[in-house]
Amino acid sequence: MALLKRLYRWVDLRIGASEIVAKELTGYLLPRNINEWYSLGSILLVIFALQVVTGMLLMVYYVPDADKAFKSVTFIMNEVPYGWLIRLCHAVGSNMMVAVLILHMLSTLFMGSYKSPRELNWLTGFILLTLVQGISLTGYLAPWSQLSFWATTVATNSASAIPVIGPYLVEFLRGGKLVGPPTLGRFFALHVSVLPVVIAALIGAHLFILKRTGISTPPFGSSETAKPWRAESYSYQSHPGGIPFFPNYALQDLTSICIYFAIFLAVVFFAPNLPFTPDAFVPADPFKTPAHIKPEWYFLANYQTLKIFPSELLGLSVQAIAMTFLALLPFIDRSPERHPMKRPLFLICTVAGILLWIGLTVWGHFS
Amino acid sequence: MENDGRRKFLGVCLAGATAAAAVAVAYPVVRYLGPKSRQAGAEKLVLSASDVPEGEAKFIEYAGASAVLVKTKTGELIALSAVCTHLGCIVQWVKDQQHFLCPCHGGLFATDGTVLAGPPPRPLAKIPLTLTEGKITIG
Repeated sequence: MALLKRLYRWVDLRIGASEIVAKELTGYLLPRNINEWYSLGSILLVIFALQVVTGMLLMVYYVPDADKAFKSVTFIMNEVPYGWLIRLCHAVGSNMMVAVLILHMLSTLFMGSYKSPRELNWLTGFILLTLVQGISLTGYLAPWSQLSFWATTVATNSASAIPVIGPYLVEFLRGGKLVGPPTLGRFFALHVSVLPVVIAALIGAHLFILKRTGISTPPFGSSETAKPWRAESYSYQSHPGGIPFFPNYALQDLTSICIYFAIFLAVVFFAPNLPFTPDAFVPADPFKTPAHIKPEWYFLANYQTLKIFPSELLGLSVQAIAMTFLALLPFIDRSPERHPMKRPLFLICTVAGILLWIGLTVWGHFS
Repeated sequence: MENDGRRKFLGVCLAGATAAAAVAVAYPVVRYLGPKSRQAGAEKLVLSASDVPEGEAKFIEYAGASAVLVKTKTGELIALSAVCTHLGCIVQWVKDQQHFLCPCHGGLFATDGTVLAGPPPRPLAKIPLTLTEGKITIG
């Protein structure tokens, strides 16, 4: 311990580490009534880091070639020591990332944290959700199994409903008329180089905006004396008399991360086939479409919406309107009230929206 | 005092748990990245004796490394590691002079692997072989 203290002092003398600690950790005050839902962002950072690390490890043995991809994934799963663990962590982690991201957005929604002056935080978060879905979709093709091949065929085909440019867009996405080796090349490039960099940059922007705006006060529990924000000049929302981030809230972050890992590892060790269907264990065959091919669970509602509308264009338009409405919510809902029980219209619409999404997902699963 | 003792105990428990978690993460990663283990001498390679004419050498992959099978003008068969003992380059067979030359720094080896000239500190490693009914078994 004495050695660590001496090392810290040595670094402190050179770069003023204690000043940074005092400002950003022990002196970074949070609202006294902050709750555990605020730690979902930290869990997401951990998941993203884990996805990057496991993704790098998978690239050691994975071969992005249509003739070799399935074999290389089988090799990772069956031959490489602990390859199954690395791959399962990556596959389960991608599903968990979408799930925790949805929870993070729902908590922001219910606590009204998207409202002024935090519109940019909501918007960057919303773009992050779509990018995470994009990185999951592009990674889905990588194993080159029947499931990945046909799920990608169905997903890319949806774009054909867009008037005029639709058919060209599908061909552009696939790199050809049908899903094939060129699709794997471009999806792999997007999955490992373009999307992770864009996501990392947006996470940086999201955190930067959070630091500049100041953390929101939850609408529940004891109220504090933070000044309401007015659109006159820039002001940081501080929380005088609040609790320090370190050690108080860092401990809550750590607790939430441990709970997350308990759930995540329970799936990895006790339900490893949860992210896979039997088609995931058969190599891709472009001449044989398996029966009842379904997209990932988080695309099931979109898939079912396309099925229930008489025209694909109508189905896509409804989804586009819903997504645009959600993205622009802070600009539409401008009332300062944030307590959900004092916003009955908001509460009814949100609960109805969530139930509709769950209903469509379940319907899509069994249809 | 009692608080100090409890604090120290919890600190030690936390450090222990962190160390155990670090080992639990590091072990699979090291095993995952580790090279495929090969038992020395366990691998066998069978070639036809007619594959190597007299005065010629045949380069092969054996036990994950480069090796060479040479048949001298006297008809003797020798299997050697083709990895130069100087800096690990692969030696080349010079048919006219009947010796091995390392193109990196000019090391010269005789057909039995002994150093003739240049910087290599040791002879090329010999690999055991047997010849039965026209089949050469290396290893």
